[in-house]
Amino acid sequence: MGYLQAITILSGCNLLAVLGMAVLTGYTGLFSIGHAGFMALGAYMGGILGKEMGWNLVPCLLGAGLFSGIISLGIGYPAFRSRLRGDYFAIATLGFAEALRLLLNNIHSIGKWRLGGAYGYMDLPELKHMTFLPDWAVVVIVCLIALWVTHMFITSQYGMNCIAIRQDEAAAEMMGVDLLRTKLLALFVSAFLAAVGGALLAFYFGYINPSFFGIQRSSDLLASVVFGGIQSLIGPAITAILIVAVPQLLLTFALYRFIVYGLLFVVVMVFRPQGLFGYVQMNSRWITRFFRHKPPEAMEQP
Amino acid sequence: MSPDTPTSAPILELRDLTVDFGGVRAVNSFNMAVAPGELVGLIGPNGAGKTTIFNLITNAYQATAGQILMEGKSLRGLTPDRICHRGISRTFQNIRLFPFMTAYENVELSIHSAPQYSLFEAFVRLPRARRKERESRARAHQLLETVGLDKLAQARAGSLPYGLQRRLEIARAMAASPRILLLDEPAAGMNEDECKDLVQLIRQIHETQGYTIIMIEHHMAVVMDLCRKSRIYVMQLGANLATGGPEQIQNDPQVIKAYLGERKNGH
Amino acid sequence: MDWELFFQQLVSGISIGAIYSLLAVGYALVYSVYNFTNWAFDGFMVFGSFIGFSAILSWALPLWLAVTLSIVATVILSVTVETTSYRPLRLRKAPRLFMMISAMGVNLAIVNTLNLVYGGLFRRFPFEDLQPYFVGGISIGRMDLIAMVISALILVLLWVFLYRTKLGLGILASSVDILTASLMGINNNAVAITVFTITGVLSSMAGLFYGMKYAVYPTMGLVTIKAMIASIIGGLGSLPAAVLGSMILGVLETFVAGYISSTYRDMFSFAFLIVMLLFLPNGIMGKSLEEKL
Repeated sequence: MGYLQAITILSGCNLLAVLGMAVLTGYTGLFSIGHAGFMALGAYMGGILGKEMGWNLVPCLLGAGLFSGIISLGIGYPAFRSRLRGDYFAIATLGFAEALRLLLNNIHSIGKWRLGGAYGYMDLPELKHMTFLPDWAVVVIVCLIALWVTHMFITSQYGMNCIAIRQDEAAAEMMGVDLLRTKLLALFVSAFLAAVGGALLAFYFGYINPSFFGIQRSSDLLASVVFGGIQSLIGPAITAILIVAVPQLLLTFALYRFIVYGLLFVVVMVFRPQGLFGYVQMNSRWITRFFRHKPPEAMEQP
Repeated sequence: MSPDTPTSAPILELRDLTVDFGGVRAVNSFNMAVAPGELVGLIGPNGAGKTTIFNLITNAYQATAGQILMEGKSLRGLTPDRICHRGISRTFQNIRLFPFMTAYENVELSIHSAPQYSLFEAFVRLPRARRKERESRARAHQLLETVGLDKLAQARAGSLPYGLQRRLEIARAMAASPRILLLDEPAAGMNEDECKDLVQLIRQIHETQGYTIIMIEHHMAVVMDLCRKSRIYVMQLGANLATGGPEQIQNDPQVIKAYLGERKNGH
Repeated sequence: MDWELFFQQLVSGISIGAIYSLLAVGYALVYSVYNFTNWAFDGFMVFGSFIGFSAILSWALPLWLAVTLSIVATVILSVTVETTSYRPLRLRKAPRLFMMISAMGVNLAIVNTLNLVYGGLFRRFPFEDLQPYFVGGISIGRMDLIAMVISALILVLLWVFLYRTKLGLGILASSVDILTASLMGINNNAVAITVFTITGVLSSMAGLFYGMKYAVYPTMGLVTIKAMIASIIGGLGSLPAAVLGSMILGVLETFVAGYISSTYRDMFSFAFLIVMLLFLPNGIMGKSLEEKL
């Protein structure tokens, strides 16, 4: 039973970050390779707020999210303005994730806070002690809230603007979409969600370490969106859970998994770029739509 | 109406507009003044720079020199989305719909490209937000009806036949509630019947909505018909060649020379 | 002012700048022709490095053979990737996002395969400690010197190739406008294979130099981020700008590492990137690189 709980919690934390990636990449079309960096920001800030400042769970999560969101604007603003191509943003996120990892590996303490550098940040408050609910229930609840909030965002007018940007940025701009603002908004939301996921991870283990949030984690997140589907929340959500659960269950697979992911990325892009559940929306008809929906012609999809 | 200049204060004015791409001067000191509610044509041989003018007005390209004034206020330096919100909307020479959205969604997006409710309201759909969404939905359907696409509202825009895609683009441009509509070769690739329908549509929206329309076209029949009572600007090599009413243009020796090899009443 | 230290750092910076140049030029070349960031560049470099390493250590090949093998193997890999993973998407005019995902996938596969085969340990090339040269009290590592000289040589050769041969000019033409170039009779396939061959050569050389100077390990490819940053600093899409940016970044970075702390070296590069994007997004040699309609 404990094993199932662990998987639930781990996949739940991943799910939150994946929801963020879905908004940023799946809907708005912005390629981000360093998203684990936002999880790391959330984890460490959550840890600081929880351990050093003694805040309760919800304020910790919100604070972590906000912190990560604000930092993300610092990366997004230079990269998005001046109509720079998406490559600049991708490079910036990769650079950010790497720089952050190195920074965290080398900061042993800030003032009285012992962040531990590469040894990790220890003795963080644990989820099961922070609320009256069992820890897995907290994660599930947070995930459900996040799913709902993201769904509301994506089906709103803001969400449609994001989709338009992905499909044809220049035309969207001429139809009146404020590119900079919309992209920053999508980035903020995605960084916020990733941070909450990171913070929950920190509180689950009671300990975090910069290596939790390296290239492997970013690759997992990207894979969830690539396989799960473009312009969909439910697809990446399900894939996020599978991506955590399957390697746990098939331990031999875990060795090869990134090689397989890598090859699958290419295969998916060549043969079914919209992913498993691309364009499938969460509504009462989504199941029938999945089986009925015709994938748009091969390569024109943005 | 005087052939060269509009009678009332212009809603859009281009003064000595110039743009250089590397070593090439694509637009050279171009001048244009359009009165509110006018339907003006912009014609010229291929490569004359007509679409570039539209791109300059919407700031897809930045002008090297000259002025772009809307109601006396400069548009230069504004981002395209701000220009759209000032009231200028356009269609594209090579159709640029959002191919994977439905016809309806393409139009609706234009209505609320500047979201009508706050972010908070997006997360918690209060009645006010829901009402705004209903209103946009209604308006989108109405626009689709105007261009005759209401039955195909749920069709994927990329799957529509070419002629209907052009109409959809017009509906999308109208959805932004513009004061000035820039139509870039709306009749391109259409046969005679489709052209006739298009002329009727454009005339209808011009009269009912009171838009100021600037239209680039190669189909002479379409231009001469629609601009029957107004003016046409002729461009060549990025500069003004001639300006005037249809008869005047058709008989202008310079215009004829520029179009040498093309029939006057053909396309 | 300790001039010895200053020049020492300068030389070291130029040497790392030379390695960055190889990478940045490779990246800029693909970008200028295809408007595409080749994320697998990382993997190519690591691959080249490990092949060289294995050649010397496990297969006991002489240096010249190892280097040749490394270059050839990387070129084969590079061209294979281009034909299987990039070209199909390019021909279908896939949107940039999809091409980036594909490239990322290739990189993941390569790097993780190498990780699986070799493990994550830092490997060193088995050269005895070569005596550095001494010039006026400054020691210049032999490896550094070789790297600088050969890099310069390679870049000069590349320059000659691009500007003096028919195929090279074809590539230059393609970098301006690939459609027009093909309409004027330039063979797109030949261009593609040549560009990716060059990529293979550059990345394997860079990988070998880097491996010999520092160490060989699966995540060494992250240095390509520096190359990308260098390219942006100079001005994305231009080859001379890539070299300029690399030199500037290499030298400044080394000064930061030397005078402040080596911990902050990579963060400096990232900060430099952000500053460039804020104030000079088109790079020092900035051409207009906005989206074209």
